[in-house]
Amino acid sequence: MALVHKLLNGTYILRKCPKPRVVFCPFWRTHFADYCSSSFQKPVAAPGKAYSQRKTKGNLEEHHQREVALEITSPEDKPEISFDKAIKEEMKGHFRHLKDDIVNYWIGPEGRPLHEVLMEQAKVVWQFRSKEDLDKWTVTSDKTIGGRSEVFLKMGRNNQSALLYGTLSSEAPQDGESGRSGYCAMVSKILRGPFEMKRSYDWSHFNTLYLRVRGDGRPWMVNIREDTDIIQRKDQMYSYFMFTRGGPYWQEVKIPFSKFFFSNQGRIRDAQYQLPLDKISSIGFTLADKVDGPFFLEIDFIGVFTDPAHTEEFAYENSPELNPRLFK
Amino acid sequence: MSWAQAILLARGLSRGWGGICSTALTGAPFSQVPPQAPRGLRCSAVAHNPDSSLVPRPPEPSRRPVKALAVHEELFRPALDGTRDKANFVRAVQNFAEYNVHKRGHVDFIYLALRKMREYGVERDLSVYNLLLDVFPKEVFRPRNIFHSIFIHYPRQQECGIAVLEQMENHGVMPNNETEFLLMQIFGRKSYPMLKLVRMKLWFTRFKNINPFPVPRDLPQDPVDLASLALRHMEPDLSARVTTYQMPLPKDSPDTMDPTETHIVGIQSPEQQSALARHDPVRPIFVEGPFSLWLRDKCVYYHILRADLLPPEEREVEEIPEEWNLYYPMQLDLTYGRSGWDDYKFNIDEVEEGPVFAICVAGAHDQATLAKWIQGLQETNPALARIPVVFRLSGSSGELLASSSELEEPPPPPPEGQEEEEDSQQRQQQGQS
Repeated sequence: MALVHKLLNGTYILRKCPKPRVVFCPFWRTHFADYCSSSFQKPVAAPGKAYSQRKTKGNLEEHHQREVALEITSPEDKPEISFDKAIKEEMKGHFRHLKDDIVNYWIGPEGRPLHEVLMEQAKVVWQFRSKEDLDKWTVTSDKTIGGRSEVFLKMGRNNQSALLYGTLSSEAPQDGESGRSGYCAMVSKILRGPFEMKRSYDWSHFNTLYLRVRGDGRPWMVNIREDTDIIQRKDQMYSYFMFTRGGPYWQEVKIPFSKFFFSNQGRIRDAQYQLPLDKISSIGFTLADKVDGPFFLEIDFIGVFTDPAHTEEFAYENSPELNPRLFK
Repeated sequence: MSWAQAILLARGLSRGWGGICSTALTGAPFSQVPPQAPRGLRCSAVAHNPDSSLVPRPPEPSRRPVKALAVHEELFRPALDGTRDKANFVRAVQNFAEYNVHKRGHVDFIYLALRKMREYGVERDLSVYNLLLDVFPKEVFRPRNIFHSIFIHYPRQQECGIAVLEQMENHGVMPNNETEFLLMQIFGRKSYPMLKLVRMKLWFTRFKNINPFPVPRDLPQDPVDLASLALRHMEPDLSARVTTYQMPLPKDSPDTMDPTETHIVGIQSPEQQSALARHDPVRPIFVEGPFSLWLRDKCVYYHILRADLLPPEEREVEEIPEEWNLYYPMQLDLTYGRSGWDDYKFNIDEVEEGPVFAICVAGAHDQATLAKWIQGLQETNPALARIPVVFRLSGSSGELLASSSELEEPPPPPPEGQEEEEDSQQRQQQGQS
């Protein structure tokens, strides 16, 4: 059993190495020793701090009731895992997925007929009706840099919404380089196709983000990221603020995509340009309003739609004072 | 190593214990080394001769490490009466200027002052920031030729200037013309603090009014006022009325041994009133809470009065009679063929929850206070007298889930006969929810 665990560990380690070229050749990995998967989630242990790419996105918050997917387990559990059988099932699953993908390509984009996709005006992208929907999200907090905030994600009342709750603490970690601290974030996992190919969302037909939430009056920040494997785009994101009202009523938040401003490494950049909607990788919610205390946010669903009344293309113009090169 | 230990130990012990057991120790130093070596090295001449101990004594673990005072920290000593306010802060900054004409160490002083601002309560005061920027010597750090402007001229001072502006940004203080003029005088137009100022002016003005539910910067200190502000913030219906059911006792009354008299403020709109009047007395209504609401940096806890959703078969659709409005029809049953492009609805069933009848903010979160609220509500909603009320109070705040403690309190309370009803109602609720 220990050997199996070690091998599982081994596959997981191989998978976690950042390999950008993997994206382009999915059939390259016919060698079983190289093959690794991440949907094989339950019995695999997180190997530690050597993988900075995934460290911040990993599941660092474990609610004591273990409702979010486990990444740390003891070797005594589940003695009936057989390595070969698991690998075979995994491969079968991926080939099935690939077959569906090819068949869907003939039906239309994303497996739906073209006229349906073109005429669609409102689309639900993430909903929270079951535990599997929660698995598409990860939660992080400033514990990664040594802070004291905690954040948990679980299903809300009647399994009809997701509840993100925790405590924010802006006590700075005493590591000599951070002056400020105190943030919590919930980020969506990147969409994966067959053989773990990265997929992205295409929202070019829509122009507004729609969220049905119930908060506690705190201001949140919504971040949209594009493909972050390219080194220049590693820390870039587009953000805007979501102000919750608080109270017992559900709140509809509509944020047009033209309002998202561009930022790199946490700082707003001088040169602003519009969020490109055709290759969106993930979306995230961050709370960092410098107020210590408990917080919660209940989300019903997240969708995108076309607001016919919204004609603005981009809300921020570039100024010649800050960007003389753009105006030459 | 052991002989050195032995010598040190012998010397220490002989000096320390002195006349008590000197004869025994000097007679046999080596035999005593192994069992006592660690102890001897650590506790050398403590009791008798602290000055002549050879090994330094480590500090006791209970004492916290003494922080060295920063260079000009004595300027920020609290005033004679111990208050820390703007006047004292300003005086401390001005004292620094008089301390030396050449303003040596002004960078450290400014960093120190930025750290002390929060204690003195002036972190949102623009004039204080301008005063702090005034500490910089003027015209010295401006680049004068092209070589100055290629490299970052006086980088530490520019970083300090940026730190001042960054603290302004963190607290949401908008810089004004005086700040701009000062920065121009100190650093010149092409410097990094000036660039940061331009960015602050741009982005602050862009994001000043994006909050659709603005909360005033100075929140009221009185709990009743804060409660009514919170209730108005939560309730979107503008015709709702805020009622104070109980005022808190004034603090200076001598018999405050019983703190049950906290404030209770509630809100209810006319629509909620009519919905409550139409509510079926068979179904219980629930008092749920406490939930947290944050207004800037103050947290207010509220409770709500709600009923569960009716199952679909019992929901009645209200029909507006045709004679209600003779000018145009209230309902149109036209079947225009809508093609796929005209559908703006999301393909999901939204979460439906039961209607909320009233919200209240109370000082205490126990059942007695909330019962007083219910009694106060009965004056405007006489139907409430016949409806059973169940209290679902969760112990911890911040979670919107119903939890354990359920007690029933119908307004004339005979508990025994109602318990079976309560069980069947609970089973109904479990079935519904």
